[in-house]
Amino acid sequence: MVDSVRTLRRSVFLYRRSLGAVVRSVLEYTADFWILIVAGIVTQSLGLVFLSVVMARVPQINGWSYAEMVFIYALAGISSSIVPVVADGIWALAGLIHNGKLDYLLTRPYPPLLQVMSMWVGFNGVGDLVASTVMLAWALASVAIAWSPGMVLAFVVLVLSGMALRIALAVASNAVSFWLKMPVPMFAMALWQVGELARYPLGIYGLAMRVLLGVAIPFAFAGFIPAAWLLDRTGYAWLGVLAPLVAIAAWIAAVWIFRRGLRRYESAGH
Amino acid sequence: MALLEAENLTKTFRRPEKDPGLKGSFKHLIQRRFTTMTAVDRVSLSIEAGEAVAYVGPNGAGKSTTIKLLTGIVEPTSGEVRVGGIVPHRNRIANSRQIGVLFGQRTQLWWDLPVRESLALLRDMYDLTPDQYRRRLQRFEEVLGLDELLPVLARKLSLGQRMRADLACALLHDPKIVYLDEPTIGLDIAVKDRVREFLRQLKAEGTTIILTTHDLGDIEDTCERIVIIDGGRIIYDGSLAQVKDEYARERRVHLQLAEDLPLDVLALRFPQALVTAGETHREFTVAFDKADLTAGAILAGVAQTAEILEVRIDEPAIEDVVRKVYAGELTLSETAS
Amino acid sequence: MRAYATMARLSMRTTFAYRQAYALGTAASCLGLVASLALWSALLSGGAQLGGFTLTEMKGYMLVTFATNWLGNAVGEWSLANRIRDGQVAIDLVRPIATQRLMFAQVAGGFPVEVLIIGGAAAGFVLLAGPVPAPQRPLLLSVSLLLVIPLRFGIGFLTALVVFWTENFHGVAWARNAVSQLLSGSLVPLALMPQWLQVTAAVLPFASLTSSPALIYLGKVDTAGALGLVGLQIFWTVAIWFGAQLAFRGASRQVTVHGG
Repeated sequence: MVDSVRTLRRSVFLYRRSLGAVVRSVLEYTADFWILIVAGIVTQSLGLVFLSVVMARVPQINGWSYAEMVFIYALAGISSSIVPVVADGIWALAGLIHNGKLDYLLTRPYPPLLQVMSMWVGFNGVGDLVASTVMLAWALASVAIAWSPGMVLAFVVLVLSGMALRIALAVASNAVSFWLKMPVPMFAMALWQVGELARYPLGIYGLAMRVLLGVAIPFAFAGFIPAAWLLDRTGYAWLGVLAPLVAIAAWIAAVWIFRRGLRRYESAGH
Repeated sequence: MALLEAENLTKTFRRPEKDPGLKGSFKHLIQRRFTTMTAVDRVSLSIEAGEAVAYVGPNGAGKSTTIKLLTGIVEPTSGEVRVGGIVPHRNRIANSRQIGVLFGQRTQLWWDLPVRESLALLRDMYDLTPDQYRRRLQRFEEVLGLDELLPVLARKLSLGQRMRADLACALLHDPKIVYLDEPTIGLDIAVKDRVREFLRQLKAEGTTIILTTHDLGDIEDTCERIVIIDGGRIIYDGSLAQVKDEYARERRVHLQLAEDLPLDVLALRFPQALVTAGETHREFTVAFDKADLTAGAILAGVAQTAEILEVRIDEPAIEDVVRKVYAGELTLSETAS
Repeated sequence: MRAYATMARLSMRTTFAYRQAYALGTAASCLGLVASLALWSALLSGGAQLGGFTLTEMKGYMLVTFATNWLGNAVGEWSLANRIRDGQVAIDLVRPIATQRLMFAQVAGGFPVEVLIIGGAAAGFVLLAGPVPAPQRPLLLSVSLLLVIPLRFGIGFLTALVVFWTENFHGVAWARNAVSQLLSGSLVPLALMPQWLQVTAAVLPFASLTSSPALIYLGKVDTAGALGLVGLQIFWTVAIWFGAQLAFRGASRQVTVHGG
């Protein structure tokens, strides 16, 4: 027991060290740093612009008000913005596999998955986080949620499990690169794009999409469903209580896929 | 039990078989054909602690793949390997603490960080105490002149500097066994000498070394054992000295004399040798088996007949043996040493 | 001239070599289309109109947006940006005009695969979403669509040149993508946007990427208007092409080469 705590602390320590090293090297390029942050803010704002523009004329989409739509969108944004901040390195996996650059990582006494995840920091995530937080703050003030200490706790848990879920999905989809062997993680990128669709009420989609976003690649549990639960709506909202479990299941799957993939690793020439 | 035991290690790759051009790409969509290529074919090795083994072979022979199998980077298709009792590809983390690795063609330095930061990150990964760390850095300064490289960004290093830094990275945690894949590739002679000196010291300290290289000068003073691989199979595994003794016995003495001498005179003097003339009748080459003659005897013999102006003696390096083996001119008898 | 043809052909073969990647990209893109359809259907249910666009018209708009987002985009601008970052551009700088044309040939090589993707997606969309308005003024529309390719290339090339200063392409590409999406009308038709945004879009080239062909398709402009839009597209394409040339030559004086 003491051993596992020590291992966990060491893991976290090494993870932070790795991220820190990246941050220091990225800060060398100050122009890029700010451009990325701004790019993040602008990209998140696009969704807001869309909602604002169309809902200025149409008061409700499928029964959801403007404030509620923003709430859903922002909550989804918060969970997705954490991925570039703490695990952006995972997107480099495809390139590492393709070029045989995983070799050294496999000879070090630290899990290769953690090494890869912590090898980059996407500062656009900081911008995303800022924009999403602002939107969320505004939305929280404008929607009707029955607040109580329990609700606050639930809110925190749902946000955290949404983040964990997103990271797990990013890991799992990038781990597919062990099979696809492309220099660019096309599958993972495509999947991420699909995930962005879960920033809107599930009800607007047909059954196929609902199954896709709710079950197959459960992005819905990182955005819409927790939001709906907090807003105490009918329909799919009750599934919100499952969000933490979905996150855990996703992580188990992600680690399993990564490990299976690692067994197929063939390196490359020299 | 030996430190490293590998038994019938085999690695095969599946490669898609495609006709060239656009038509070929389309055909492959419908008719998927693959060929199997064997990179490593039933390689068995037994290496004791403290040994320094040279692992040599032509390009594409399977050297790097073998190293990747031994270090656990790649899973074997069949066969077994155990290092210090641990199966590398199943227990990477445990194995990593006892091994050091250097791939000469790739760096493990963090590209955008100073060398010092890369070493610090590795220090933390290997859980070294500040004391241990300081002592290792001191050692590297003595042997590799590392201090001048510490503040430099990895991407600004020259090849020779990068190799020195990578050596430090590979050996920072004082591993029991170290795998070096072409550690002198592309280096100028000054740095090569430095690296070779480093290797000699490693050997003296008792570290087990497995070294692949194309420059056989790397192994001369460090490795006592040589394993030759070709086409994925080991064709020789034995003592380096024995190889040279048994197969590299030819010596050549090149002479430049003060006056002309007819070829036959010399040829008669040394019937066991092959005497050839150079461009003029003053230059001769005497090729002989060192079991039959000595260079000294030849010089003494020639001096009786004519004045010797210049002498050059060629001693074949292991290169010549290996070159002949690669060319198929020489088949070494498989000896277990 | 031969060099450009060869480059285009090589590029085309590369796109086929990466067909898995394109298939995935297309699938994601199509799902995006489905999502847009769902959103707009929810917005415009029951025959409502938004800024003069009915649901049927929006379907056509979405299709054109899809097409213009793929035209000239299969072969990305990452190629040049990476070349600059990795220092391979040293050779390119000796002949800056040739580089630009070569890169364009490379982009042009993506045309066959783009046509396949757009065709396939359009067919699927019509099957899924039902009737789509028939394209108006097909000739002008085709010209307008084809112009998107060099225009998008030019914008991409200009953006890639920023790498000379920032050395890192990622953020710049994203910011540009976001701005482009907004001001080209990909996100929402320009007519729906607040006045100040419409004015901004009017003076920038992005509108010529999506909004112009979309408006021609839907017949929202008469022939004179359509010709005007096409003319504007041509203007921007030419202006950016030469602007990029100047920028490239200017940037070549500030080369930082990574690594040794």
